[in-house]
This record gives sequence, C-alpha cells and structure tokens, in this order.
Amino acid sequence: MARPPRSALESPATVAAASDTPVLELRGITKRFPGVLANDHVDLDLRRGEVHALLGENGAGKSTLMNILYGLYRPDEGEILLNGKPAEFTSPHGAIAAGIGMVHQHFMLIPVMTVAENIVLASEPRRNGVLLDTAAAERRVRELAEQFSFHIDPHARVQDITVGQQQRVEILKALYRRADILILDEPTAVLTPQEAVELFEILRRLVADGMSVIFISHKLNEVLDIADRITVLRRGRKIDTIPREGATEAGLARMMVGREVLFRVDKQATTPGGRLLQVDDLHVRDERGLETVRGVSFDVRAGEIVAIAGVDGNGQTQLIDAITGLQKPDSGHVVVAGEDLTGGSAHSFLEHGVGHIPEDRHRRGLVLEFTLAENLVLHDYAKEPYATRGFLHPKRIVEAARGLLKEFDVRGGTPETRASALSGGNQQKVVVAREVARDPKVLIAAQPTRGLDVGAIEFVHRRLVEERNEGRAVLLVSLELDEVLSLADRILVIYEGQIVGQYDPSVSEEELGIAMTGGAREAVA
Amino acid sequence: MNTFAASMDRFRFGPRQVARLGIVLGILAFFFALPPIEARAYVVPLLVGLLGAACGIWAVTRGVGRIAWGAVTVGVLGIVLGVLATRSSGTHLHIVVSWGALVASTLVWATPLTFAAIGGMFSERSGVVNIGLEGMMLSGAFFGVLGADKFNSWAMGILVAAVAGGCFALLHAFFAIQLRADQIVGGTAINFLALGVTGYFFIQVYGDVGSPGNLPRIPNVNIPGLKHVTFLGDAFGQLNLMVWLSFVLLIVAHVVMFKTPIGLRIRAVGEHPRAAETVGISVYLIRYASVTLSGVLAALGGAYLAVGFVGSFNENMTAGRGFIALAALIFGNWRPFGAFAAALLFGASTALSFRLATYSDSAAVLFQALPYVLTLIAVAGVIGRSVPPASVGRPYSKQ
Ligand SMILES: Nc1ncnc2c1ncn2[C@@H]1O[C@H](COP(=O)(O)OP(=O)(O)OP(=O)(O)O)[C@@H](O)[C@H]1O
Ligand SMILES: [Mg+2]
Repeated sequence: MARPPRSALESPATVAAASDTPVLELRGITKRFPGVLANDHVDLDLRRGEVHALLGENGAGKSTLMNILYGLYRPDEGEILLNGKPAEFTSPHGAIAAGIGMVHQHFMLIPVMTVAENIVLASEPRRNGVLLDTAAAERRVRELAEQFSFHIDPHARVQDITVGQQQRVEILKALYRRADILILDEPTAVLTPQEAVELFEILRRLVADGMSVIFISHKLNEVLDIADRITVLRRGRKIDTIPREGATEAGLARMMVGREVLFRVDKQATTPGGRLLQVDDLHVRDERGLETVRGVSFDVRAGEIVAIAGVDGNGQTQLIDAITGLQKPDSGHVVVAGEDLTGGSAHSFLEHGVGHIPEDRHRRGLVLEFTLAENLVLHDYAKEPYATRGFLHPKRIVEAARGLLKEFDVRGGTPETRASALSGGNQQKVVVAREVARDPKVLIAAQPTRGLDVGAIEFVHRRLVEERNEGRAVLLVSLELDEVLSLADRILVIYEGQIVGQYDPSVSEEELGIAMTGGAREAVA
Repeated sequence: MNTFAASMDRFRFGPRQVARLGIVLGILAFFFALPPIEARAYVVPLLVGLLGAACGIWAVTRGVGRIAWGAVTVGVLGIVLGVLATRSSGTHLHIVVSWGALVASTLVWATPLTFAAIGGMFSERSGVVNIGLEGMMLSGAFFGVLGADKFNSWAMGILVAAVAGGCFALLHAFFAIQLRADQIVGGTAINFLALGVTGYFFIQVYGDVGSPGNLPRIPNVNIPGLKHVTFLGDAFGQLNLMVWLSFVLLIVAHVVMFKTPIGLRIRAVGEHPRAAETVGISVYLIRYASVTLSGVLAALGGAYLAVGFVGSFNENMTAGRGFIALAALIFGNWRPFGAFAAALLFGASTALSFRLATYSDSAAVLFQALPYVLTLIAVAGVIGRSVPPASVGRPYSKQ
C-alpha cells in the first residue's frame, strides 16, 4: 500500500484545531528581475484544507511567487511562514522536506527516463542500502496511481506519453513525496475538459484529507468551481483576496485585467472562397510506427475557420505535423492553394504560405536561448527587409520586433530579452505574433491560447477572426470546446485518427463531447 | 505472467539476433583464415563473410539500424581481411597473429583508455564536457612517477596521481560550473596547463637525467595455474594489476551509473538539470563530484601508463590518448561497456599497428587512425547515432 499524504495520518481533531492558523503565509514578498519588478510586496495566506486560487494576467508574477515559495528563486524582500514559523528555503530540497510539492507550468520531466524513474528521482527506494530498487519504484508508482485512478504505465518513457499523462506524472511526483501543500501552476492548461474534471475530483479528495492547494489557472470557470478563496495579482501587485461566494467570471476578469473583458467574439457571417487547404485521405504514423492518422480528408476555404475538436492523443499531433511538413505522411495528399506539397519540407510549406502556431511552444515554437527579435524573424530572417545579399540588418529586425511586441501586447521583455525570461503566456504571444504577422494564406493554429490570460485570449481570438475575415483559411486544432464553439465556422471531430463527424457551431457541447469520445461514428452535418 | 512474456520476448530470435549472428559470422570469416585454423582456400572467408553480410542486409530491411549495418560492415571486412590472409605467407601470419600475445597487448593499450573513458563518462553524463581528459591523464602519469619515486612505493604513486588528476578536474569544474565558462575552451586550457606543469616539474625535479630507472612499478598479477595453458596463459597470465582493476572499475561504473540512485541523479542532471533541481537535487554538487571523479580516473589511466607499463615519464607521454578515450566514450554511446568495447577495439588497432609493420609500415600508420575514423562514423550517425546526454556542454545557472 502506498502511504497516504502525511496530513491524512493526523486525527480530524488536530486538523480542525489547526485550521485557524494558516499553514502557509507569505509576507511582503518582492522579487526583481533585471528591468522587471515581478513581485511587489505580495502577501498571501493559505489555510489548511483549502483550495486557494491565484489569478492574474500573463506576466503578473504568479509563477515567480510560487518559485520563490518552492525555493527555486530567492526573494529580494519578504518572509515565508510555515505553520506560523519563519521558514527560509535556499533550494527546493528544503521546500520538499517541509511538505511543499509543486507542479510546474512547464513540465519538469526527463523525457528519456521512465515514468517511475521520474517520479522517484531524488527519493528512490533502495535495495541492500545502495542499489536502486526499480521494481519497488514501479510497484509504488502503480499503487499510487491506482489509488487516484490514474491510468499510467510506470514503465513507459516520458517522451512516449501524452501531455495529459505527463501532467499526471507531475502530480504523482508531488504525491509520492507526500506533500501537504500542493502548488499547481496552470495544471489544466494542457488537459482536456474531462481530464480537468478528473483532476478536480482528485483535488477534492486530497483537500478532504487535509491537503492545502494553491491553484493557478486562467480558466475562470474552473477557479469558480474548485477554489475556496481567490487572490488576484496584477503587474506584480496583489489586488485582493476574495471568497468564492459572490465572485463572478466577469468580476474576476475585471480585477485581473483592469477593464471589461468580452468572452465571446463578434463574428460576421462570410461566404468562404476557394479551397486553400485540401487534405485528402491522409495516413500518418507516429514515431513508434503506429498509424495514428487513418485516412483523414477535409478542406479549408478562404475566409473560414475550421476547427478540429477531439480528445488529446487522437492523431491531432501527427495530422498537424503532416500538413506543416514536419513529418512525411505514409500516403494521401496535402494541397495548399492548388499546389500539391505532400511530403515537402517544412520550409516549402512555409514558403507556400502556411503559418503554424505549434502546440508545444518550448519544443517547436521558440528558441529559448534566442532573443525575442531573433525568435520573431525565425522564418524570414534571410529575406528582405531583414537581410540583403546574405547579410542581416539587426536594426531592422529589432525595430520590426519592437512593433510586434507592442501590437501583440507582449509584456516583460524588449526585443533584446531572451525568450526564456518571459512568462509562459507571453512566450505564447510571441509565437502567435510571428505566425500571424507573416500574412499566411493558411494559418494552422494548434492550441493557440494555451496558457493565455482572459484578456490575451480575447485578443488572439479577435486576431484569428480578423485573419478569417481578410480571406485566409484558418485551421484551429483545439481541446477547448469553448474556443472551438465560439470561433469555428465548421467543426470536425477527430477520433482515433479519423474524422467522425462534421458539425455546425450551433451544436451543443454535449453532442460534441459524445462525438469526441467515439459516440458518433457517422457524419451528422 | 507478464514478466514471463517479457522475458520470452527478449530471447525471441528476431532481426536483431540475426544481425548479431551476422557480426559473429563476419568475424569468423576472418578468423578461419588465421592461425590456428588457417584455411588457405579463399572461398572459406568469402562464403562465411557473405553469409554474415546477408544476415545484416536482411536485418536492415527489417528496420534494425546500427547492429545490422555493423553486420554488413563486419561481413565485408571479414571477407577482405580473410581473403588477404589466405594470400599472405604462413610465417608472416604467425608473427602477426599469436592470439594470446595479441590479446594481452590489446589489454595493455586499452587499459589507460578504459580508465579515462569511464572517467569521461561520469563527467559527461552529468552534463560537463571534459576534453581535459588528456591533461588529467598526463598529470596522472607525471605525478604518479613523482609519488612512486619520492615515497618509494607504487601505491603512493597511484594516490598522488589520483590527487593531482582530481585537482586539475576540480579546476575544470570550477570554470565550467561556477563561472559557466565554455567547457571546450576550459578543457583545452586544462590540457595545455597540464602539459606545461608536468613539463616544468619534470625538468625541475629530474633535469637531464630523466626519471629514475629503479622506479617502484605497479606489479603484474601472475596467475600460476594459467601459465602453461596455451592461449589463456599468454593472454591473462601476466597482466598488470591495473588491467584487472580496470575490469573491476568497468563493472562498478556500470552498476553505479545504471543501478543506483546516485547514477540516476547524475543522468538526470545531465539530461535536464532544472528538472533535477526541482526535485531537490543539487546540480552543482553532482557536477562537481562527477567532474572531479573523472579527473581521478583519467589520472589513474595515466599512472598505469607511466608507473605500471613504461616505468618512467617523458614529456607529453600520453600523446593524445585522452582524446582517444573521449572518442571511445562517444563510440560507446556514453556507456561503460560500450566505452570498454571501443577501448578494446582501439587498443587492438594499436597493438596490431606495431605488428603490422611486418607487412608494411604505411599500413601500420593507417591503422592508428582507425579510432578517429570509427568515431566519426559513430557520431555522424551512419550506423545509428550516438546520442549524448541532452544538456551536455550547457552551463546551468540557478536564479
Ligand atoms: N528568469 C527570469 N529572468 C527575467 N525575468 C523573468 C524571469 N522569470 C520571470 N521573469 C519576468 O517576471 C515577470 C513575471 O513572470 P511570471 O512567470 O511570474 O508570470 P506569470 O504570472 O506566471 O505569467 P503566465 O500566466 O504567463 O505564466 C514577467 O514579466 C517575466 O518576464
Ligand atoms: Mg506562469
């Protein structure tokens, strides 16, 4: 049997008695990065057994605050109290020992190692005192996973499992270390709605056992669903802490952004033009040789947004790779603006006007070591006006970047900032800026708003609709039903590598949900 | 049930096994033409080698990469060498190929490489490139001689060598980890520094006379029972203590790297230091320890060369062996047994190059380039690429 979280061992009486003193208190935390005041005298208290949501725009300083709490960053000012006693963490080691677990916004997993190895790393079960007990590690991971009804193979390599599963591995890491304070930095950004619901079930159980949770999310409905109290940060400062009772999405959005936010984009009807993207009977394999796209055909016309909805891992990744030239399909055709580009290089797809907002910004969207200006000209650096006869014009590149950063409201960086220094949401905006700005004929947007705050989502959605209105073909691949329903002109549902249905945007969420889980094999349209 | 199925799976005779068989056949093709079997008809190596290469080609079509191409290469090599052997005179063959002596001499040349390559493995697996191995080895050679001479004990020689190598490595670690300097530049600096330091002290201490002739040497291990057994006696009967130690090191290094928590942590730090830090591992500590260990081990290789094998020191006596060790490490895919196999291969090519002089001097020289050619092939990915740890060479900065 895996041991339950530490706090569950305490008697209910102690839990009740302790619930008045906050388990954790942050006082006046201040953190400066070169040129950025990331946290400005932030106070926060966490009660035992509560879910405390932390809200704020991209770059508001949420991750920074949590990294300070976890011992990854040192605060410039302020103090941390654990159960009323001052605590100082110089490394995550101390934080872990004090019962703090953290699931990071960008996963901290080692791709080439197995799930079990990732989970037990640094507190490994041993055999004969010195040897790594792999069998015990896998057994304990399996037990822990079963206890929370996660379906996960401890023996699989992390690089071979889906992001949703990686998320669970991260949570298991914290549970394995028997954390009683759990920090979740945007845990649902990469989850499907169903997976998010499952995660909340788990959180409720943990909290009932006396665990305390800090929960960061940009999805306000989730926050209203799970949180007991909500703290809002804006530009490094704490705006307020409020109870869930009486809070509304609109109210929270206003607190975060400082203005009213529209949750639905206005969309005029357009008449779609010619077919800019045609996909014909496409078959693609993943890196393990399994056929994950099995005969997909569809087209996208100028001036329409076609959304591909589906549960993560149903072939979306390979489909996108094949229609952006990142992977060669086994058979079938990809035709862009009348030209058959099947099997061509990513470069040729770019040249023919395919823009691509990739789903994983760290692996495919950005070169983290490069500056923002360099990242913004990643496709077109060799062309006028950025280069003439093989020589770059750094000044022009920087100037163009400055304009884009302003236009797309990227915060916390200048053109010379390295991409790795931006907050997650702002990194995403850089990718969107680059792809939209080069005026593609076909824009393929995979999870374009992953990790964005409500204000930024509104902005990106507006941009996508504008692109459509200007006669571009937009293919949206998204796990967010809200996003799909509010943007798409047509919705295709992908299930096990096949398009199993085509729907109008007026379809109900339920009907889509059923189709996405294989409930509707026949096209309804 | 499950484990049973898994273990059955392992012993299945699939394309990989066929490819392995192909390699064996390729080697046999050459072997049959050599003493003691010494087939004189050229069809023998030709047929056996073709069979081996065919196995390889079949496996290639079944999607096996590295091993299958290996089988094809070995098969063709087996044919060429085997046919050449059937053409050459019997006496020449006997001079070049006396198996026992050849194995012993291969081990002699492979041992310094093994020590340094396994040292390098620790450093690189933790994410620090160590091209300073050469310098650390050289310092081990000199300080080993110095220690053995001054304390009049080979054991002290080994100890002093280890400390010296550790110090040079610590210096490399300080530049690479603390100051986040470029690791290639730092390693190169270590090499020149070691060359200078050992050269200076050598002249300072021993002047024109050179190191003393009566240096206490690391002893050989005589295995009495083995003496009169034909092949085994020549090969293993009189090996140096350090050669046996390198076998022990090989096994220990493998266990530590792949079967212990320490090894898991070292690999984690080399793959994704930030992830390692978030679970409470001290990236700096692991890297410092690994780099220092690499220096100690490389120095042991140098000490063997000077105090065990040659019995004296002369300037720059390692002559690039640290680099060959690095090549062995890469060729062996950053694994102890892989590196050892590569070290054996390179050792054998050195051993052979001395004997091949019987045939032709130029062929002998060409043979010495073999390690580098093979390494190029390995890193270029022609026969399945060697994959380095993901974060090797990248300095890590805490916030
Ligand atoms: N390592 C760093 N170096 C320099 N600046 C940094 C670094 N990390 C964060 N920042 C800056 O600090 C500010 C706060 O970033 P943080 O990552 O905490 O935001 P966030 O609230 O988590 O945003 P998001 O919702 O986009 O994840 C940003 O302006 C960011 O650019
Ligand atoms: Mg963040």
